Amino acid sequence: MSDPSIHVFNHHAMATQFQVRIAGEEKHYAAQAAQAAFALTDNLESQLSRFRENSDISQVAQLAPGEQLRVSEPAFACLEIAKKMELATRGAFSITAAALITQPGQPRWSLFEEHFSVRCDKGKLEFDLGAIGKGFALDRMAEVLREWDCPAFLLVAGGSSILAGEPPLGTTGWSCGLGDDNSPRRFWLKNGSLSGSGLAVKGRHIVDSRTGEPAARTNRAWALSPTAAESDALSTAAMVLDEANVSNVLLSLNDSSVWLHDGREWKQFGGRKRIGEAQPRSNAAEENHRQRATFP
Amino acid sequence: MVNQPLTRREFIGTTAAAGAGLMLASGADVFGQTKSASGKMNVALVGFGAQGRVLLESLLKMDGIQLVAICDIWEYARTYGERYLKKMGVEVRAYENYEELLGGEKDLQAVVVACPDFWHAPITNACLKAGLDVYCEKMMSNTIEGARSMVQTMRETGKLLQIGHQRRSNPRYIFALNRLVRDAKILGRLTAANGQWNRAVTEDFGWPKKAAMPPEELAKYGYADMHQFRNWRWFKNLGGGPLSDLGAHQIDIYNWWFGMPPKSVMASGGIDYYKNHEWYDNAMVIYEYPLPDGVARAFYEVQTTTSAGGGYFEYFMGDEGSLKMSENPNLTALYREARAPSWDGLVKKGYIRAKTNGAAATPDAARVDVRETAQLAEYEIPVTFSKAIHQPHLENFFNAMRGKARLNCPADEAFSSEYVIHKANEAIAAQKMITITPQETKA
Repeated sequence: MSDPSIHVFNHHAMATQFQVRIAGEEKHYAAQAAQAAFALTDNLESQLSRFRENSDISQVAQLAPGEQLRVSEPAFACLEIAKKMELATRGAFSITAAALITQPGQPRWSLFEEHFSVRCDKGKLEFDLGAIGKGFALDRMAEVLREWDCPAFLLVAGGSSILAGEPPLGTTGWSCGLGDDNSPRRFWLKNGSLSGSGLAVKGRHIVDSRTGEPAARTNRAWALSPTAAESDALSTAAMVLDEANVSNVLLSLNDSSVWLHDGREWKQFGGRKRIGEAQPRSNAAEENHRQRATFP
Repeated sequence: MVNQPLTRREFIGTTAAAGAGLMLASGADVFGQTKSASGKMNVALVGFGAQGRVLLESLLKMDGIQLVAICDIWEYARTYGERYLKKMGVEVRAYENYEELLGGEKDLQAVVVACPDFWHAPITNACLKAGLDVYCEKMMSNTIEGARSMVQTMRETGKLLQIGHQRRSNPRYIFALNRLVRDAKILGRLTAANGQWNRAVTEDFGWPKKAAMPPEELAKYGYADMHQFRNWRWFKNLGGGPLSDLGAHQIDIYNWWFGMPPKSVMASGGIDYYKNHEWYDNAMVIYEYPLPDGVARAFYEVQTTTSAGGGYFEYFMGDEGSLKMSENPNLTALYREARAPSWDGLVKKGYIRAKTNGAAATPDAARVDVRETAQLAEYEIPVTFSKAIHQPHLENFFNAMRGKARLNCPADEAFSSEYVIHKANEAIAAQKMITITPQETKA
């Protein structure tokens, strides 16, 4: 049975459903805080979507080599994280992965923090933030909720990325499962993000930016990171990396973990605690049986 | 051979190119001259709310424009603005109100006003009288008299006053109106228009508890409480309600494209949904436009419904074609009636693009060739632009300040358009048809 002290709000954005859950707050105030967070998401979509003719990302796609453009602060911040994740994953995550289909090679680009500009160095900057934008939106929504003094929250983007703030009062975290509804693979999450990638909903849509070929992995991957932009990007990267390279990538992203499931076997990579495997039926029982994945 | 479908004046006016799939390079200035130090214009932004922040993003991208000050009565918004701009490398001075702004800034050239409607007239009038050019968001005012005073001040001071009906600088709208509807008469005789902006139910705007303004400060600026301050659009002495906030976008296009104000308005609406608001949350309006070829009726609706309510558009229907315009290019559509003259010439000129080829033309009525079934032809407008949607209208304003363009929406033209929006609200209240004379729509 659902906890009545947790208020749940839904909103459509970025071609999926966003959800805000707020604990420990009066419902009307929580609703207004959630709306402020959703309004921010709508703004982010207008700045980050490649499907919006006038977005920053669409404008950047018009740059010729050598040209640069000032973009909004959120667009710049998201591109900065995207670049960092591309480097950290050795190109397994890339916002120009699909460009290999339309261009002879990967485009190249630079960021200039002093004037919040993006410069096209080579090719056409056909950025697709589909594997990081929703996570980035969750990170920014969390800032809004903290600003509203609603620290106990869980944010969900399309069921594939979640970002937890403080847990509901009297609990150690938000109960998160890996996989389909009521997954037995669960842990407690607070102040961190979990993202999943897979082929069950959209088929083989993930492209390996290093080869232009569809992702090698045919089942699912999950990533646990301090921020949702990172977990979103890392779970996508884990779909194209082999196991040895997942371990290598996590040497630099040492506050993240990755889980892979090939249909039979579960494997965990990275420094996080191993998740529990018991299947308790109540919160109290869960707490007894689960190990906890929390961020300081 | 592809022609340049926009004239030089239109090109300068909008700073946007058009053609067969041609897009304007992002960030380009039409003359490439505003990067010189002498071309910098110092600008202040009054109102750092949702709309102010939208305009801000365009202002920051424009060459030759220096944002030097922001102004907002809410310390929370003001502080946010200062921090945000500092992060962006833009140092501004922040003021609580426009009087302090005008007292403190001695080297301003222009002010962008994006505060609640009932403050537009006093602030705009004061800025114009201080010798500044003004870009003021629509609606001009929550009252007809407020709007009229702005036109009068514009005339008295000789300064520029652009009203923020941004579609008037949208290159797709300018091109479609001038080249397709007026020159090519692609729709034939215009008989009707249909437009809407339906939207989903939302919570009223709230505020972080810690950011509430003291009651005496709210009262000083005309608000009963924080709820009214945050939701001013719904209150009669502060804003004009959805017909004004949303309807202004489409109804302005009716007046612009039909080239005249309507001769009458009838409307139905009510406070059906939100019990703590003063303005109508649902409204349906019918205008009659006495066009030279006969009356055209224009329906408009703004409804509180779901996000599947169809979005926002203006759909112009003639007897030879129909054109659905929207700021959202995905909602823009062009339909040719079978009885219409061929559009092949327009396709060849690059004025429209054939998405699919239709049946071959019939050059000789005595001959026919037979093959597989032909598809019906589909067409689209080839004009796109890659800037933020308000940017061309702001650029038009600054180009007018430089003497290189005429305003696309000067206050006197906006008044004529907005007058009939106020009359729609009036028709709902009166529950009867209201006639409108051309004379009364002039300020």
